[in-house]
Amino acid sequence: MGHHNPLRDSRDLRLPRIAGPCSLVIFGVTGDLSRKKLLPAVYDLASRGLLPAGFALVGFGRREWSDEDFVAYVERSVRERARTPFDEDTFRHLAEGMRFVRGEFDDAAAFEQLSKTVSELDRLRGTRGNHAFYMSVPPSAFPIVSRQLADSGLAKSDKGAWRRVIIEKPFGHDLQSARELNRVVAEVFDPDSVFRIDHYLGKETVQNLLALRFANTMFEPIWNSNYVDHVQITMAEDIGIGSRAGYFDGIGIARDVIQNHLLQLLALTAMEEPVSFSADDLRAEKIKVLSAVRLPEDLSLHTARGQYSAGWQGSEQAVGYLQEQGVNPDSTTETYAAVRLDIDTRRWAGVPFYLRTGKRLGKRVTEIAVVFKRAPHLPFEQTSTSELGENAIVIRVQPDEGVTLRFGSKVPGTAMEVRDVNMDFSYGNSFTEASPEAYERLILDVLLGEPPLFPTTKEVELSWQILDPIEQYWATLGQPQAYRAGTWGPKEADEMLARDGRCWRMP
Amino acid sequence: MIVDLPGTTTAQISQRIDAMHEERGEAAQGRVLTLLIATTDNRLEEALEIANGASREHPCRVIAVVPHEDSDDGHLDAQLRFGADAGAGECIVLHPTGALTQHLDTLVIPLLVPDVPVMAWWLGEVPENPSLEPLGAIARSRITDATHSADPAAAFAALRANWNERDTDLSWTRLTIWRALLVSMLDQPPYTAIREVTVQGSHGSLPVDLLASWLALKLQVPVTIDRDAEGGLMGVVFHREDGDLSIRRTGPFDEQAVIEQPGQMDQHLSMPKRSLEECLSEEMRRLEPDVVYGEVLAEGWNLVNHD
Repeated sequence: MGHHNPLRDSRDLRLPRIAGPCSLVIFGVTGDLSRKKLLPAVYDLASRGLLPAGFALVGFGRREWSDEDFVAYVERSVRERARTPFDEDTFRHLAEGMRFVRGEFDDAAAFEQLSKTVSELDRLRGTRGNHAFYMSVPPSAFPIVSRQLADSGLAKSDKGAWRRVIIEKPFGHDLQSARELNRVVAEVFDPDSVFRIDHYLGKETVQNLLALRFANTMFEPIWNSNYVDHVQITMAEDIGIGSRAGYFDGIGIARDVIQNHLLQLLALTAMEEPVSFSADDLRAEKIKVLSAVRLPEDLSLHTARGQYSAGWQGSEQAVGYLQEQGVNPDSTTETYAAVRLDIDTRRWAGVPFYLRTGKRLGKRVTEIAVVFKRAPHLPFEQTSTSELGENAIVIRVQPDEGVTLRFGSKVPGTAMEVRDVNMDFSYGNSFTEASPEAYERLILDVLLGEPPLFPTTKEVELSWQILDPIEQYWATLGQPQAYRAGTWGPKEADEMLARDGRCWRMP
Repeated sequence: MIVDLPGTTTAQISQRIDAMHEERGEAAQGRVLTLLIATTDNRLEEALEIANGASREHPCRVIAVVPHEDSDDGHLDAQLRFGADAGAGECIVLHPTGALTQHLDTLVIPLLVPDVPVMAWWLGEVPENPSLEPLGAIARSRITDATHSADPAAAFAALRANWNERDTDLSWTRLTIWRALLVSMLDQPPYTAIREVTVQGSHGSLPVDLLASWLALKLQVPVTIDRDAEGGLMGVVFHREDGDLSIRRTGPFDEQAVIEQPGQMDQHLSMPKRSLEECLSEEMRRLEPDVVYGEVLAEGWNLVNHD
């Protein structure tokens, strides 16, 4: 903008960044995500003083609500879910800028009304023509909402003001649909104002991973095929599909989780050091490594899928996937998926990356395990090291964010015996309690216009290129192998690793 | 859990802490810093409560030192607090007497967590020169709070004269939200030139002086302090060619403020007062020297009339 703010000083590290005047328009405001996450996060930002005085919140939905009904709905959600204590005054200020616009997505008049509402807010609340649109709606509704925003003139901004759009994953269900989706959104919004959000992958996680790899000297020298045997990336959920049958059935967990989350974790683990941590440089490295990913030649030997059957997940009884409400009883949708991927670069030649994800597994955990080769020579009696496994660095993403180092240590006693031990660092101990929830961070980044660390069009397309052939192969198979709820997945997955002479870690 | 150790030694204290960790099955690693608190009997509980709150974000070992100079034997009473009584860490309270009070640095050295930064915080009277205090000299960052001393102006004058880059006074930390808001106000158009600034506040409020000094330094325009108000820092007015842009609290001690600007509707916002715990947490988050604060003390302060 050419304006230099004389009070701003890059050396002034104390100052939190406060978003400029703007409004946040949420489509699908009555949905679960909005009620449980978005609205409480907006309040938490306000109570931390990070929202501007000129802030407005507009809900767009089908219900016959007045502004007052909407305010009451937001208040309930905030009281239930916000992590900062409820303060009447803070909420009152926020509520003064809340509006509700009733309508269907195909109703041009409703968007006309929305357009009037935001320009009125520009005047009354001083939001200055800056508007962010949060699409908390099914992907099938993106095209029509984008179109309507364009037609009502909402998608384009005046000079000096901005418009941004926030899209949640999934970004399509294969390469073709992802391209189509990108095309529709790109027609209306310019690429820099599209924020693709994968809420599994908080910015904090990405930054922790970057810090571990690139701020230290002790890991990088061994982060390659000379020392690494293989890498396992796991995202396990203990819950079933819950009420998401309508979305999940026919889509499956590979599209839901591997395509975005696990491939992003793979990219961050495997990429070369970016020349800087700017969004562009980071993106360049992720794209390089994703484009070097190679699929196994025989997919039948190196992929596995499963579907949970009835059982007990921990102490809770669980129905099988096919008995879940809303699921087609003949469904061949997988709830567990594992794949082997190789990366054709000097750093990773010959080091397989095993990705697995599933629902109704042993417990909820996301982790990246870098497993090292055994020492080339062990100057001990064979019996001394029979209990010694492979060294590993495990990056725990959630819950209990942190890092575990696994190595051999002598068992106390007169006999020389070496066994695996763990050394732990927990972010949970050291830095979390008051660390901002992922959604707060995310909304604030959008309002500030911080270049996101989230996947770009190119990354999304590369990820589909990796997954599409696997999905096509799986579509030719019948029923996925059943696994009992609460276990670590189907036999097929264990056999898949056994073929390579390896086994899955128990997270 | 609270353990009293009357007439003890630092070696016994260390042993007892190790034993407690073992018994309770927790590891003492994970601590990210050691917080030394210099305080007095009557403020000890307050100090520990604040430190415990802050330790939830930054797990630390807290060592509170309460010297009793008047008794003349060199004697040490201690108390250990663990678990629910100690936030996310452990607390050691030391009551040295007599000659021991002259050697507070070597008293705490055996008890510091290895290899992590040490922070010293004075709750109560402010030392004239924190970096020369025995507890201050071994600390990587030194936190004082002149606002709450008997004569804030005199205490702060001494701190300013003896300032070292590792020193921070909480009067500055209390301004963070205000400063962030002022920065964001100037981010918005119209970017007309500021001719003059008025800072409104009460007599004897250090944050008022510091904010005025910061503005004078950064904007390089005349800044005057209007001390007619009550209740600490009350407001800031930027006098610009096209009119005044201002932010004011709605009343003394109110946690609400209003931003006024020509041609715009008034904007109301919350201005919660910052608790000591939040201020201390902010200091723990960043242990590097604060260069901006240093410049405000060295240069900005003299640009403003503080009467």
